[in-house]
Amino acid sequence: MSENSPDSSGKIGYVVLGATKAEGGTRTVSFRLGGESDLPFIGMNTGQGSIPLVAFEICDDPEYWSPIVTSYTGDLSNDAREWAGVAEKQYGADIIRLYLTSTKRRGFDNFSSITTVMEEVLSGTGLPLVVEGSNEPAIDSDVFQRCGEAGEGERLLLGTAEAGRYRSVAAAALAYHHSVLAQSPIDINLAKQLNILLREIGVKADHIMIDPYTGTLGYGFEYSYSVMERIRSAALKGDTDLAMPMITSATDSLSVKEVREADPAALEDIAVEWEFYAALSSAIAGSSVVCVRHPKTVPLLKSAFRELWAGKMPGEA
Amino acid sequence: MTDIDTAITLGNASLKEKLNAIDGPLAYEETAYHLPVAYALTGRPVHTGKEAILAYTLTKENPFVACESILALSEQGPGREPAPYTGFIGDAVLRKLGYSLVDGSILGLALLIGTPANAETASRICRELQEKYMLTFLAGDVVPALSLASVKLGLEYRLIPLGSTSVHGVHFVDIITRVALMFGGVVPGDPGRLLAYANQRAKAIAIVFPGLDNEGIALVDALRLLGIPIISLGGYEGGEWIATAPEDAVREGMERKGIKVTVTAIPIPMSCSPAFEGKSIRKEEMYVEFGGGRSPAFELLRVKPASEVTDGLIRVTGPEIGSLKEGSAVPLGIIVEVAGKSMRADFEPVLERRIHNFVNYGEGSWHVAQRDLIWVRISKEAVNNGIKIEHIGKLIATKFRIDFPDLLDAVQVTLVTDLDAVLKGKKEAEAIYEERDLRIQGMKDTDVDLFYSCTLCQTFAPNHVCIITPERPALCGAISWLDGKIAYEISPSGANQPVEKGNVIDRVKGEFDGVNRFVKKASHGEVERCSLYSIMEYPMTCCGCFECIALMLPEVNGIMVVNREYKGDTPSGMSFSTLAGTIGGGAQTPGFAGISKNYILSDRFLQDEGGIERLVWLPSLVKEELKERLVQKLNELGHPELFDKIADETKATTLEELVAFLDEVQAPALTMKPLL
Repeated sequence: MSENSPDSSGKIGYVVLGATKAEGGTRTVSFRLGGESDLPFIGMNTGQGSIPLVAFEICDDPEYWSPIVTSYTGDLSNDAREWAGVAEKQYGADIIRLYLTSTKRRGFDNFSSITTVMEEVLSGTGLPLVVEGSNEPAIDSDVFQRCGEAGEGERLLLGTAEAGRYRSVAAAALAYHHSVLAQSPIDINLAKQLNILLREIGVKADHIMIDPYTGTLGYGFEYSYSVMERIRSAALKGDTDLAMPMITSATDSLSVKEVREADPAALEDIAVEWEFYAALSSAIAGSSVVCVRHPKTVPLLKSAFRELWAGKMPGEA
Repeated sequence: MTDIDTAITLGNASLKEKLNAIDGPLAYEETAYHLPVAYALTGRPVHTGKEAILAYTLTKENPFVACESILALSEQGPGREPAPYTGFIGDAVLRKLGYSLVDGSILGLALLIGTPANAETASRICRELQEKYMLTFLAGDVVPALSLASVKLGLEYRLIPLGSTSVHGVHFVDIITRVALMFGGVVPGDPGRLLAYANQRAKAIAIVFPGLDNEGIALVDALRLLGIPIISLGGYEGGEWIATAPEDAVREGMERKGIKVTVTAIPIPMSCSPAFEGKSIRKEEMYVEFGGGRSPAFELLRVKPASEVTDGLIRVTGPEIGSLKEGSAVPLGIIVEVAGKSMRADFEPVLERRIHNFVNYGEGSWHVAQRDLIWVRISKEAVNNGIKIEHIGKLIATKFRIDFPDLLDAVQVTLVTDLDAVLKGKKEAEAIYEERDLRIQGMKDTDVDLFYSCTLCQTFAPNHVCIITPERPALCGAISWLDGKIAYEISPSGANQPVEKGNVIDRVKGEFDGVNRFVKKASHGEVERCSLYSIMEYPMTCCGCFECIALMLPEVNGIMVVNREYKGDTPSGMSFSTLAGTIGGGAQTPGFAGISKNYILSDRFLQDEGGIERLVWLPSLVKEELKERLVQKLNELGHPELFDKIADETKATTLEELVAFLDEVQAPALTMKPLL
């Protein structure tokens, strides 16, 4: 009956992202996420865990990317390796999240290109990687197998696993020792169900991050926030099936009407603000990793987190 | 006929002799697991003959360890057999194979071994295994037999020739072993966990042709320890092998190991996912609609004998999408027929309710309500993408197979769009709905110790908990106590859970300590108390799906009920939708409750407030719908005149008019104990 007890007895488990040379990989840094025993900024403020990390999202086919970003980055977005390097060194990201958007092309079957892109990005940055494989169930098996294989030893976070579609991601994670990004549609019960499904297939709790699914501000974020709070409080009350760190990405921040239809002169600023506030709010709701796409959002978030989490260090493993 | 037991003894003796003669370094290439079976069982890396003999002794003379050691010596360097034989399969390839197993693109592993009497039989079995997504390994004489029959071998054909002798069959075991180590978290040196993994998780079967040598028999028989069914195609006696005719071998083996060919994708030109469940299709986006009061429509799920159901059969009776006018309302009957060994007629209503979810999963299809009240829309976008009515049937049939793999063996769907046929089918369906409602009638809350919960709506009303009792159906009207019970049987971890009534706290209000405990937990601590038969104190929470809202009108000391379909003003000064917005979302609102229509007829209706005599206003549509049963109930109570003392919108739509009406008819509520 621990779920029923009002006092917090549980603690969020740890997930390690990335592997340094000493850990069998090639990353220059690895992060140990999780460990919270309280909601952020509530209570004695002692258990709110380490400072949230900022993941910068890139892709291997910019045709499927927001023009707000690609017009800012220019040619850079055509070269995933370079882009990853710039994100690390210039934007100051903590993590790179690679979307294999090339697999969205109709009839995509050039699976060897996935290995190539993976190798390029791994050589372009020393940061831990989150990799988003296919969007199409028919090619999941081929895509995730390559992602997993190309990143063997690097402790990637592989996504996205959903309730009806998690086997290929889980298989790649098990075969090549990665973690799984488990996404549920703003629903605590489905989040739990998916974690149970993953456990049954063999993925351990310390290899799962919860993505509660985030709508951006004004487009459902309040639902996401509430679900994140509920996931976190259930976990703190002792529900171990929900006691994993969370990762969020309000990907629609750059495509909502207010941003899309903004005055061209102000568009970039509005885009960055929209992304910033959605990501900041996610972190306050308990997210360990927030993902953004506009380069200018990264330093803003980093500085906000530093102030809000004064004295806390990034969770280096 | 070969006697299995004798052969095992002879085979093991001969393996032991060969093992003892081993001399030289032992190793397989491209593996981190040394001699995998010996390593997994003993935790010791074996690299010499001496170590092999030690491992053999430690494992109580396990034939796998013997075969593995013998081959480790002979397969090295030039000893490796030429193509097509693969010999030992390295870790990298195995990782990919294991990936396919976990990912479901391979359903299981099969070992084919022995000497097929004719190549035709062997190649037929191989084809069947390929069709059923099994990865097949071949060892010994079966390989040349298949080559002669021009069967293509190799990983890409999912037929892997391990080696020319039956002993090569041990590679099948080292593969299962390494999969357990790589994917199953089994630790070397823990034979208990290895065996448990192999028995419970490894989906493997062995099919044995006649003519296996003694060593092969010893090896194959040991597979039983791993929980692998051994299907024998004749030529053996004694032992515990399962003799089967060749044409049944694959099915028999897969059934025994519980390997099911599952459906994963829904083959229609529309995305289907719970993500689309909450999405509605507005009038301007709609291509065609069915039901919703605009045309007759119904849905019905029935269980049939297996012989009458062809799995996956979809029929459309009447016009298809191409001949329907854009923007029109068309009749529709959704008839789902299912068969399954453990399927029962009383499961029907529960499964029928799932049609609602399934149709909503479609990106361009939308569904509300149930039974003969359904309302379905298909979007213009979906029709542009090629969606036909037939595809909705395909969606329903496939989702049923995916969601209820153990319960249903076959599902066929008929979609009727022909007006006369729909009217006829609807009439038959209505008789069945009534039959189902009768089944629950007569059951009392006092007859049972268990109620059922429903938390289906927590998706959008996070703390809402419905408690369903025989005399109080779920507030949506769609789930009765029986349905809750059955839903729990079908899916024990689902949204309907048994609720221990516990001790009575207040018999009249319907408060039970077991119910309170459950509600507190399921509402995540938000709701501490719940009275099942009162709307004034600790009423049940409301999600948003209630068929009706009951609320008190203090001015007349009575309670009014308004249904969802009623669009006009009510004496409370608020319309249904305003009220719904006020009380929904999982809140407990004293004085208000979401209820089903049938609950109005229940003896428990407003029990704490004095029963049906408190009812002062009910829209004429519901009054008419319930008339027959309501009049009967009032007669039983000895108050037949009460029916006409309940106002409707023709008598009053404002509080003033209601007061006047109630005064005129001398409604009992006026003189009852004050509500407040």
